Amino acid sequence: MIEVKHLAKTYRRGDGTPVEALKDISFLIEPGEFVTIRGPSGSGKSSLLNIVGCLDQPTSGTYRLKGEELSGYSDRQLSRVRAWKIGFVFQSFHLMPRTTALENVEIPMIYGPGRVDRKRAIAALERVGLGKRALHYGTELSGGEQQRVAIARALINDPPLILADEPTGNLDSAAGADVMGMLRSLHQEGRTVVLVTHDDAVAAYAEREILFKDGMLASDRKIAVLATD
Amino acid sequence: MRINSGIGIAWRSMSRNRLRTFFMMAGVMIGICSLTILDSVGENTKRETMKRFKNMIGTFDTVIIRPGAGKTRGMVSLTNVPPTLKFEDAAAIATELPEVKQVALLQNAFDIDVKYKDKNVSPAIFGVSANWLDLRGDQVAAGDFISGEDMQSLARVAILGRDVLSVLFPEGDAIGKAIRIGDVPFEVKGVLASRGAGPGGGSLDNLILVPVTTASKRLFNRDFLTMLIVELRDPEKSDAAVARIRALLRQRHHIAASALDDFTLTSPQAVMAQVTEMGSTLSTILKGIATIAMFIGGAVIMSLMLISVSDRRKEIGLRRSVGASRRDILLQFILEASLVSSFGGLIGIVLGLGGTNLVAGLEHLPPIFAFQALESTAGLSVGLGLVFGIYPAWRAAQVDPVEALRT
Repeated sequence: MIEVKHLAKTYRRGDGTPVEALKDISFLIEPGEFVTIRGPSGSGKSSLLNIVGCLDQPTSGTYRLKGEELSGYSDRQLSRVRAWKIGFVFQSFHLMPRTTALENVEIPMIYGPGRVDRKRAIAALERVGLGKRALHYGTELSGGEQQRVAIARALINDPPLILADEPTGNLDSAAGADVMGMLRSLHQEGRTVVLVTHDDAVAAYAEREILFKDGMLASDRKIAVLATD
Repeated sequence: MRINSGIGIAWRSMSRNRLRTFFMMAGVMIGICSLTILDSVGENTKRETMKRFKNMIGTFDTVIIRPGAGKTRGMVSLTNVPPTLKFEDAAAIATELPEVKQVALLQNAFDIDVKYKDKNVSPAIFGVSANWLDLRGDQVAAGDFISGEDMQSLARVAILGRDVLSVLFPEGDAIGKAIRIGDVPFEVKGVLASRGAGPGGGSLDNLILVPVTTASKRLFNRDFLTMLIVELRDPEKSDAAVARIRALLRQRHHIAASALDDFTLTSPQAVMAQVTEMGSTLSTILKGIATIAMFIGGAVIMSLMLISVSDRRKEIGLRRSVGASRRDILLQFILEASLVSSFGGLIGIVLGLGGTNLVAGLEHLPPIFAFQALESTAGLSVGLGLVFGIYPAWRAAQVDPVEALRT
């Protein structure tokens, strides 16, 4: 599913000094895996997620997604990959202000493979248990509900890859468990889920853990799934 | 992204930020509104001026000859012209020049006391020739006009203007009645149809027409004329004809080659051209002002769009993350700017048409809407949004989604 080889990313700070966020990263994630990426702040996990999510491009190295080599892709080509193949779930939900849950879920369809289809958006909201709150605004929903709307939004174009960046970071433990249960069900229907987290309870849902330190891959191991429903 | 989704997004964004949308619209609205009023009022004024000149001169295919070297302003009369233009001059122009079809004569004075029983008026008295109707474009509403025979016999017959009729004969029946012009009795022979307003807006109906011969011998005792109206056989060759008339008059008046004319030749077409040009200079200046207003409107759109772009970095980041390309974002913001300025323009046009009505009402003119100008005005408002939306839209497209989504 995801194949990165000798991936490196160097930023320039405001004062011009270069920062090596990623140094020579190589790994392979098979289709259908549930992987957590862990590591201290500044270890490069977010940089990696941005590159894997086609929001950013590596300074060097190669990245293949579902066999497709993405190096040298134009902005439009990368945008198309995001629209068709990737669903994002963010720590702070990123629902649009003054916009209903339903409209939020519809946004990716504007850029995706199909047409904007209200019925599918409603079905996606029903799947995350919010069918009755479709016309509520983001501000009228609890944090857990907002993140569920975001999951429905990530799902709407039926992407094979779900990328989640601290999806439970702003939630209490009950709502967090709720969200993790949903990510697990996405995994169970065959999607690849890659999750960046600090939280042990969240990491317990994954089958594999990649550990980052100082922009390098510190460890990569299979783990037993500890969390239960 | 499909264009209709783009319009949908733009529409929602506009309706979510009504205040911002309103201010973005305001500049364009004001600019377009004033432009619409200007277009219409300009058109209106041009037509009205044209009409009033025609009311006064009658026809545009004539040459007007006045005594004096062009220093008389406004309407000529016996009191403000030199006594140089004679009946014999008129006869010579009519008979000696093949270019001339006919000549109408005028000898007029203002504010002459006219009485019928106990009623008084002080209209203008126009002594005119029998062919006046042809050249002046006047029409007789009742009775008959002055005839050739009236001219010959110095008949004391009068043709009343509409204003005189309404004062002296409120009941309307005037034909055959005896009135006194000065101390001379006249018989009412006919009534003129209304001429409407003159160039100054005043009435042109406060007058009485009498035979010019009668006026000269029995009323004013003057042997000079105040104006000749010359109809040419071929109006296309008016320049050559004007030159011939000038030569003839100079010869008759014994004017030395080095001296100036003691008369003034005017072709109404030249006057019209001047009037039209004056009008268009004015409207060019006003249009300049409206254009500046619109550019200010455009600048307002641009600055508010720039603020909006930085306010909406998160939205841009989110859209990018779910698959919007830079081009999609660019398009979205350009659409938004165009839509805002189109709406502003539309409201401006509607307000402008209302304003035109208002201005026309104040000027007591029928409103004339310059609909043919609306197309370009509407185009202008869309274009304004496009032009001033491009830079903010480009900035929006450059927003780095990674930066924007970082919390």
